[in-house]
Amino acid sequence: MTRPPNENLPTIKLVVVGDGGVGKSAITIQFFQKLFVTDYDPTIEDSYLQHVEVDGQWCILDVLDTAGQEEFSAMREQYMRKGDGFLLVYSVTDKNSYENIVHFHTQILRVKDRDTYPMLLVANKVDLVHLRKVTEEQGRELANKLGIPYIETSAKDPPLNIDACFHEVVRIIRNQPQIDEKKKRKKLQKFKCVLI
Amino acid sequence: MLLPTDYSSAPFQDKCAKDDWEIENNAKRDLSPSNKFRFYVCGSSNSNKNGKKSSTKWYVKQPTWRLWGEERSEGAVYTVYLKKVRYHRPTRNISTSNSDSDDEISHLEWETVRVRFVKAGTLKKLVEALATDDGELETTYINVFLATYRSFSNPKEVLKILLQRYEELSEASCNGHSNKHEQHKKTLVSALHVWLDSYPEDFKESPDHPALEQLLKFCEEHLIATELEAKVRHRIEKYKREQSSDSLFNQTPAFVIRAAAGGTGWKNYKLPCVPVRHFAEQLTRMDVALFKKLVPHQCLGAVWSRRDKSRSHEAATVLATINQFNAVSFRVISSVLVDVTLNPSKRAQIIVCWIDIAQELRVLKNFSSLKAIISGLQSNPIYRLQKTWLSVSKEKIELFEELARIFSEDNNQWTQRELLMREGTAKFADTVGENDKQLQKVFQRQHNHVANISFGTIPYLGTFLTDLTMIDTAIPDITQDGLINFDKKRKEFEVLAQIKLLQGAANAYQLPEDPDFDTWFDSILVLDDRDAYLLSCQIEPSSNTSGVNKTRNKKGMGHKKNDSVASTSSSNSSQFYYEIDSTPSSPHNSIDRKLSPSRMSNSSSCSSLPSLDASLNSSHSGSANNKLLPPPNSGTLSPSNSQKSSPDFYIIKVTYETDCTETDGVVLYKSIMLSNNDRTPQVIRNAMMKLGLEGSPDNYSLAQVLPDRELVLPQNANVYYAVNTAFNLNFILRPKPAEEKQNNGKTPKGRSKHMPLA
Repeated sequence: MTRPPNENLPTIKLVVVGDGGVGKSAITIQFFQKLFVTDYDPTIEDSYLQHVEVDGQWCILDVLDTAGQEEFSAMREQYMRKGDGFLLVYSVTDKNSYENIVHFHTQILRVKDRDTYPMLLVANKVDLVHLRKVTEEQGRELANKLGIPYIETSAKDPPLNIDACFHEVVRIIRNQPQIDEKKKRKKLQKFKCVLI
Repeated sequence: MLLPTDYSSAPFQDKCAKDDWEIENNAKRDLSPSNKFRFYVCGSSNSNKNGKKSSTKWYVKQPTWRLWGEERSEGAVYTVYLKKVRYHRPTRNISTSNSDSDDEISHLEWETVRVRFVKAGTLKKLVEALATDDGELETTYINVFLATYRSFSNPKEVLKILLQRYEELSEASCNGHSNKHEQHKKTLVSALHVWLDSYPEDFKESPDHPALEQLLKFCEEHLIATELEAKVRHRIEKYKREQSSDSLFNQTPAFVIRAAAGGTGWKNYKLPCVPVRHFAEQLTRMDVALFKKLVPHQCLGAVWSRRDKSRSHEAATVLATINQFNAVSFRVISSVLVDVTLNPSKRAQIIVCWIDIAQELRVLKNFSSLKAIISGLQSNPIYRLQKTWLSVSKEKIELFEELARIFSEDNNQWTQRELLMREGTAKFADTVGENDKQLQKVFQRQHNHVANISFGTIPYLGTFLTDLTMIDTAIPDITQDGLINFDKKRKEFEVLAQIKLLQGAANAYQLPEDPDFDTWFDSILVLDDRDAYLLSCQIEPSSNTSGVNKTRNKKGMGHKKNDSVASTSSSNSSQFYYEIDSTPSSPHNSIDRKLSPSRMSNSSSCSSLPSLDASLNSSHSGSANNKLLPPPNSGTLSPSNSQKSSPDFYIIKVTYETDCTETDGVVLYKSIMLSNNDRTPQVIRNAMMKLGLEGSPDNYSLAQVLPDRELVLPQNANVYYAVNTAFNLNFILRPKPAEEKQNNGKTPKGRSKHMPLA
């Protein structure tokens, strides 16, 4: 494995969304835990920062996971605004969490004022085979409908697709059409003008 | 012996226990709320083991501790440290009881002590560890234990083990070793005192309070005529008296049940012309009440984030705090949007008013309502109103941005954490970033005016909840050898201790109560996020219209083709609200849509969007999906044009008819939005949600109150067209008599399967 280069790397902000209890925090922790095996401290400044190499290119992942704050519904849009890409997580053992995905999807597009945005549908807890309520087929169907890719994960040991799901969002962000980038920049400028 | 009656001291004891600490620091500690955290914090940005900057370490890191190793005994694992401490005479015994040095040499400046901490153990071992090897009370440990044990046990079980332990020691002391055992027993009694004093709710289990009765029985047997027995008896008496007039504050969020007690003074409160300082104080008063009642251990990951429905009552105080936060945010949003006819500069005045209130909240150090207002103003429906924001002055925008920066997610909420640490128990707010020009001015003015007033601090609870959720996820409950992982509890306690400390500091607030404010607060219409977005789009149509349609079509989203063609710029919202109610492949017809309850929003689920179309072409209302579209940008989504002639919605007031809704002649009502596609069951359902009623809409009837009679709405009428707009839009919701309910057993066609049938 190559070491991360020292020059300034692009920072990519990922936001993990989904209902309470779907295992968002487990996915995030599993992804970052390698660094904190002995003494986990959730208050450390760079708890949720990590250098990653995806397809030969390095970047810094800055992950925002507000697990535990799901009921603060009024502030959801505020942090959605910051994300470059999103993991929409539901639990395959919880039908409601699956049905709510579409709400998060809509809200993100509304906040971004865009018709598409880099997102990944994450079906979590697939290790709980006997408790599964949402099939892979249903998951893929929803993903198709939303026009976003689908991945199945488990944060239990041994983890399944945990690194893969974060890397996949990075790919989606990188692969988004150039037009969108321009548009985004234009938008930002526009909005800055508004505020100043 | 030092009993930790003041819980605010706990974090330091614990920190010290785990990390570095000198005895003198402890002695010097003045825990009055007026002291700043920073007194205890030296070098908060020191590096820890990971070489990472940690923002909430409130203790000094010094190389006086050395990890010595791990020690195992049956049922427990200990971590052992060697600690260099300043020598002190044994007479001032503050929890250095582990010191095995009884050296009396007066010139000795430093000594090394061996300190043993329970790392993991069986429940029995953990209870035994309340006393140290020498039989002293472990003050740090008991704080951690009592604050966290509910995640691995329950009061009954712990009490049983504690009493058993006492009895074992009693028996043992009959067979010699009496000195040490007597000390141990004393310690157990002290532990019971601490427990009774600090967690009275553990012993309060209506109607019989079995734990107290058990304790009383124990006292009668072993501790007759002791302080403990008196305390237990007193407690039982007190609960018996209370039982007759018991009202649990948890049952309903405060803002729901608050009755309108005052007169009509609240009508004078009309945004943007309100006394902002007063408003900030009143919001803070509401928050203080909830924050003081917050039970810290309900925030534990095991309780809060793993809650299932059967255990949801266990986090009632957390929920109450969150409900208030959302209530404030929603009021910000709706107050800005609700009058769609305002011009941008008038609307901007309302935004500025909220920014001013937010600024006062910053001065009051109320970070909960402050964040609620910021979140409201940053919510999409408000944030996107570019024309309105253009009318806000540069200074106010700057102020807003400075206030918003406090809650930046950057570096794991570093700004907020740092601020809480600096000002948590400080007298007043004085921390500004270098770029915070506006706030600097604000604080300068403050200092000149109210130099001697001190405030507490209301934190934003969400950060703590996330930290606790993360700890709960990251650290296992049980170690590999099947023992309870007590190190995890210590970690969790660090967060709980911060909350407790701030709760103590919150006593510094002295705020007057203004019932008119409460009435005003309750009178504000609350919009759900979909209604808010639709109103926002009426005020300023979305700019992204054509783009949306194009891509949607290109993607060829199969069965939705009609809909996507039919939808305009808010197709996003329509799609969502439509889809959430139907299975992915179900055909969508408009009846289905109207009758299916929205899971996400609290009011009419799908009808408002069609209603926007209908404002142009009202004869087709209700069949939006079959309709051909006006070309994009033709003003479909700017009904503000047509709005003046006929509104797309009314705001109606609904009262629930029961015997107890009238208090002192004031009728409590809820405002709901009625769009021109809402049919009776939907309106009833909306009203039920606002009023907190459960069950099927079929069990209720809705009637408009007219001067001479009531207009009862037919079962499936379009309420928008049925109401009599010549009069006030006041409605009564009442339960139907039992026999009528049966007649209504047949539900309207198209009823969604989500709906529980009556």
